[in-house]
Amino acid sequence: MSSKISKMEADRIDGLVAYYRENLEQFKRFMGSVQSLFSNVEALTPYVHSTKWRIKDPEHLKDKLKRWVIQCKENNERFEVTKENLFEKVTDLVGYRILHLHTTQINKINKVILDLLVKDDYVLIEGPIARTWDSESETYFKSIGIETRDTGRMYTSVHYLFKANKRTLPTCELQVRTLAEEVWGEVDHMINYPHPSHITACREQIKVLARVTSSCSRLVDSIFQSYNESCIQPPIQEKRRRTNPNKSAKDNRAVKRSRAKRKS
Amino acid sequence: MTRRAKRIVIYNHKGGVGKTTLTVNIAAAFVSLGKRVLLVDSDPQCNLTAYSIESNVVDDLLDTSDDEKKGRTVWSALKPISEGTGNVKTIRPYELSSNLFLLPGDIRLSEFEISLTSLWSECVQRRIRGFRGVTALSSLVSDIARSQDIDYIFYDAGPNIGPLNKAILLDCDELIVPAACDLFSVRALKTLGHTLSEWIKEWEIIDTLAPDDLYLLNGKPRFLGYIPQRFRVYRGEPSAAYTSYLSKLEKNVESEIIAVLRKIDTTLAPRSVSETMLGQIQDFGALANAAQNEGVPLWKVRGAGSKEQKESARQTFLNLSKQIIKRAQSV
Repeated sequence: MSSKISKMEADRIDGLVAYYRENLEQFKRFMGSVQSLFSNVEALTPYVHSTKWRIKDPEHLKDKLKRWVIQCKENNERFEVTKENLFEKVTDLVGYRILHLHTTQINKINKVILDLLVKDDYVLIEGPIARTWDSESETYFKSIGIETRDTGRMYTSVHYLFKANKRTLPTCELQVRTLAEEVWGEVDHMINYPHPSHITACREQIKVLARVTSSCSRLVDSIFQSYNESCIQPPIQEKRRRTNPNKSAKDNRAVKRSRAKRKS
Repeated sequence: MTRRAKRIVIYNHKGGVGKTTLTVNIAAAFVSLGKRVLLVDSDPQCNLTAYSIESNVVDDLLDTSDDEKKGRTVWSALKPISEGTGNVKTIRPYELSSNLFLLPGDIRLSEFEISLTSLWSECVQRRIRGFRGVTALSSLVSDIARSQDIDYIFYDAGPNIGPLNKAILLDCDELIVPAACDLFSVRALKTLGHTLSEWIKEWEIIDTLAPDDLYLLNGKPRFLGYIPQRFRVYRGEPSAAYTSYLSKLEKNVESEIIAVLRKIDTTLAPRSVSETMLGQIQDFGALANAAQNEGVPLWKVRGAGSKEQKESARQTFLNLSKQIIKRAQSV
């Protein structure tokens, strides 16, 4: 890959990465503020399974910019990233991800996210946009007022882009997806990233995995719907309070106990 | 109206360098130069308040400061922030004389300082509550300055490096460093320069991430100059020990304050070291003590000192103040 990049282009990329490194402290602080925004939010805990966050590793930024340069060359386009627009063009230098169990929980999660962003005066640039390839999911997202976009890739994830204020460029990319989608994403990332695997079977299997993933999230939706409809007790998802993964085993035991009680 | 009163702090975390005495006398000189001045006693020890107001009145102020209606010290105003019950309470400053006002200090300001520690971390996390907390004193002072049409604000800060002084220093436009001529004062400059530079750098990021349209601190206190203090005069000349410390002071001001601040931004220390010595203040001895007791500037003391001594003190502070005004007004 490096053979396709000229010395001048490589220097330019190095300059951009160095500029990112110089500003890393600001990104760390931004990351910290986003963490603080979403942590200990009582309204989210019944729906959120776990959260992940990171700021982009400068080496990964370098790889991304290299791929970008090559892509531009192949498409006969100009590579237009400069120090002045780097933080605007690369939107995922700060990334936060919320994982939940099944699709329909996004309705509640989305409302809380938008409230939190307004309350602390963040500037929403884009979103929520549901990236999905599954037409049934698409119908669902539209029904709850979330715009959809088919990116040609086989995953479902709701994205938001926001920044600290109007004056600054850095953005945070927030993704909300189901646990099953996270599994698909991890497998796809390991096999097809940064370049699509040359093993046809793997690429095919990952496509099939996407169908299973979609079905899995759909099935869990249905299970909870059936459970909640037939249940006199408060719906189970309202009772779950699981923010800390360490607490989950205890919570599961509690759920089992309450089910056993109900049976008897 | 966009005119903002200039905020000046005469600060050194090293104690006993005569911060309060300097502040009182410079403020008095500013008034005699026709300026409207607000003194802010932001030291929980309340020395400035005790200096400026009769002791029975001070006792009364402190006794009623917790009262929602009668309270009029800095604590009365900041209590709702400290206790998380609301916004800064508007209070009327104490009018010491024509054109000179005081926002009285309070021992309980130390409680506000304790809450500031967590408010600073919330500020770092970009939580609105944090911003409201760390800017509370500043916005209180802004309100008072606006309502009294103040030209210059002087903060009197306690001798320490803490969350309250961080909020004060970052609120100021200008920093003046008083330094006694001794080993400790020379050494203290290093900590002062380093701490100040860390505070400014931290605030820069806080400011970058802050929500739009929020009241923020200035964040860029300029080093206006330093004042060597308490030199003794023998046969009309400063003593040899004093002269030797003077050159050490100058060296450290240059390397530990000016150079350190310029690394962040040259406008934080725009002048060369020789231009930053604002004037030297001699040890006024008995006159200084009498001034404290009487609650007046040195040249208005009745019970001590000769006429010449007082006139010399007046001239010293007038010249010093003219220097400060000249530098503070330059962009």
